[in-house]
Amino acid sequence: MRARRRTPMLLGAALVVAMAMVAAPSARAWTYREAARPYAGQAITVLDEITPLQETMKTLVPEFVKETGIKVDYQLLNHFEVISRGQADMLSGRGAYDAVMLHSPQMGLLLQADVIRPIDDLLARKELTNPALDLDDLIQPAWDSLAKFRGKTYGLLNWNYNVIYWARGDLLSHQGEKAAFKQRYGYELGPARTLQQMRDLAEFFTRKKGETLAGQTLQSDFYGVVLEGIKGGTTFWTVWTAFIRNFGGDILDAEGRPTIDRPENVAAVKLWADLWKFSPPGQAEYSLIDVPTVMGSGIAAQTLAWSDFVLGIDRPGKSKFAGKFVYAGSPANARAPQTRSAETEPSMIVISRHSKRPEATYLFLQWMVDKATQQRLFQAAGGAGVPIRQSTWNLPVVKQSPFAGLYAAMQESLRYGRAKPRAPKIFEIMDVMSGLVQEIALGRKTAEQGLKEGQEKVLAICKQCTL
Amino acid sequence: MLFPYALIAPALLALVAVALVPFLYTVWLSAHEMQYARVGDFAGLANYRALLGSARFWHSVWISTLFIALAVPLEFALGLLGALVLHRGVRLRAILVPVLFVPSMMAPIVVAILWKIMLAGSWGLLSYNVLERFGLLEGTSVLASPDLALYALVAIDVWQWTPFVMLALFAGLQSLPATPYRAAAVDGATAWQTFRRLTVPLMTPLMAVVVLLRLIDAFKVFDTIFLLTGGGPGSSTESVSLFAYKTVFDFWDLGTATACAVVIWVMFFVFSNVFYQAARRLLGAF
Repeated sequence: MRARRRTPMLLGAALVVAMAMVAAPSARAWTYREAARPYAGQAITVLDEITPLQETMKTLVPEFVKETGIKVDYQLLNHFEVISRGQADMLSGRGAYDAVMLHSPQMGLLLQADVIRPIDDLLARKELTNPALDLDDLIQPAWDSLAKFRGKTYGLLNWNYNVIYWARGDLLSHQGEKAAFKQRYGYELGPARTLQQMRDLAEFFTRKKGETLAGQTLQSDFYGVVLEGIKGGTTFWTVWTAFIRNFGGDILDAEGRPTIDRPENVAAVKLWADLWKFSPPGQAEYSLIDVPTVMGSGIAAQTLAWSDFVLGIDRPGKSKFAGKFVYAGSPANARAPQTRSAETEPSMIVISRHSKRPEATYLFLQWMVDKATQQRLFQAAGGAGVPIRQSTWNLPVVKQSPFAGLYAAMQESLRYGRAKPRAPKIFEIMDVMSGLVQEIALGRKTAEQGLKEGQEKVLAICKQCTL
Repeated sequence: MLFPYALIAPALLALVAVALVPFLYTVWLSAHEMQYARVGDFAGLANYRALLGSARFWHSVWISTLFIALAVPLEFALGLLGALVLHRGVRLRAILVPVLFVPSMMAPIVVAILWKIMLAGSWGLLSYNVLERFGLLEGTSVLASPDLALYALVAIDVWQWTPFVMLALFAGLQSLPATPYRAAAVDGATAWQTFRRLTVPLMTPLMAVVVLLRLIDAFKVFDTIFLLTGGGPGSSTESVSLFAYKTVFDFWDLGTATACAVVIWVMFFVFSNVFYQAARRLLGAF
């Protein structure tokens, strides 16, 4: 009886073991160590931009080197140097870098110059590609809009910076302010969900020295909103994608022809310039670094800011308002919610056409975006970073992070952000436009005049601007 | 016969390698079509025509000219005044002189950050505590105003380089011979007469060199503008160096950029020669 009962159990166990033995080779077959065996000893040079997250990534790179035997010179340079040096290296054909971090606006020029190596052939090579890479997990539309062009894939999403809405929660939840706001505007005070609400909040909270704010007498002027306003920087990027596109406008049409002065753009720029009435007087000199500084100093109620900069301010000891901030996705246009858009900057590290070690480089780039690496990266960074994978939102270190509200805002903004069009002269267009919108905001030109001038100037730069 | 030439040959070779070769290469590039960073066909003067036909280029030349026209005379006047005061003898001169070196020794990024902290609208130390508190400036900040930004940048340049001018001229004053001054004193010359008839003529060669150095340096101003205003508001502070930088690194228009480099060099060459000849003939300098 016992023997009879034991026989099916033994057979079952044998079956499980046999299945495991059959299954094991395929499950164990792919490792970075095995994949890198033919390339062990190769040395690659990778250029990336320096941020706290990339500095944390640098601390993980020795793990890859140890596992694969591929030597990685992972260089971190500032934003401007990454663009100038990386681009110069690729365009000149010098090939000092095997891979270079690219911001999405650079894609137009570099694709036109044909200096980015597509990775489709590498992705298709089973011995090189981790079967668990799970590309569907990369955040969309960031990755597709950035990396895929005319049927080719040019890289893996590696950066995913985004602009979120950031406000003083202590002011928004103050009972006296709430009641006054509702009486004046007819709806509940809270984080602005639309650009029009953002304007209402800006107007409502702009107070002069000596007036009261949340029951306290102000010792200095207080401003309803602060925005980036310096020439260059990301001023016009945000005007374009967080305002103009939300109004159903755009600076280029579907064929890539300039459409700077279309009525939707004029309406959007008017709203953006209108916000300047409620902004600190020095806004035209504020860069993306000044905006978080101003928010941290507590002289403005709300802003649109790059989310990674929030991480440096909303911390005890960094601002006396740490823990009192609230976040939301970049606001929509109440009158055209279907055209919602947010300013995001998906970027990637691409393999240079001139790299002599594309396989080793590909392995490294793949390792950087690997789920396991991303998980370790976020743990090492203490739950402070910008995800490139959907699964990262669910990591305990992210969910339990003190920045959970910030992550929810990032997630919302990223849903509506996409890479910039592939226009080789996009930086020239941005340079012209950032100066013009500054003049509009400072009252030197009307929106109609400024954008008409912009149309003429951009047409002088390019008539067909995209590839 | 050849020995002196042999002695200076290494220095000359180094100079040719690091200065002349890159310059000649730039001239050569400027006469070619540039596709990205690759050299194309011979283009003759096409890049120069494009540059000289650009209103933006001429605007940037005007901004740079305005910048030096404001900054250099101020630096010279204040530097000379300071040098005369130092020369007369002030208390704690031994401490003061090394301290005066500090602004000129600062890296441009440090200068920019320092003045950002001073002038940033609404939170800058000077902006908030003085300009805004006492109602000297309302509704804007100095760097955010198209009317004031250039003057603020001039003031920063004056702050940074006046001590250099002061120290250079002070060193010159210290080395002047004492005999003519004794003679002037015996003759009963006033302080003003002594300054005008003795100090100025004796100092002219040094003054000319210092002014020329400052003119060249001020024309190249880039870092503070790039970091503090980015050339804005509008295009009110876009100097020719910033224009050249953007043309290369933002727009990747290397043909125009190399033509710009050559044109700037020619401008400098002509200007320096005119200045040199004028200083030599009219002031007896050099």
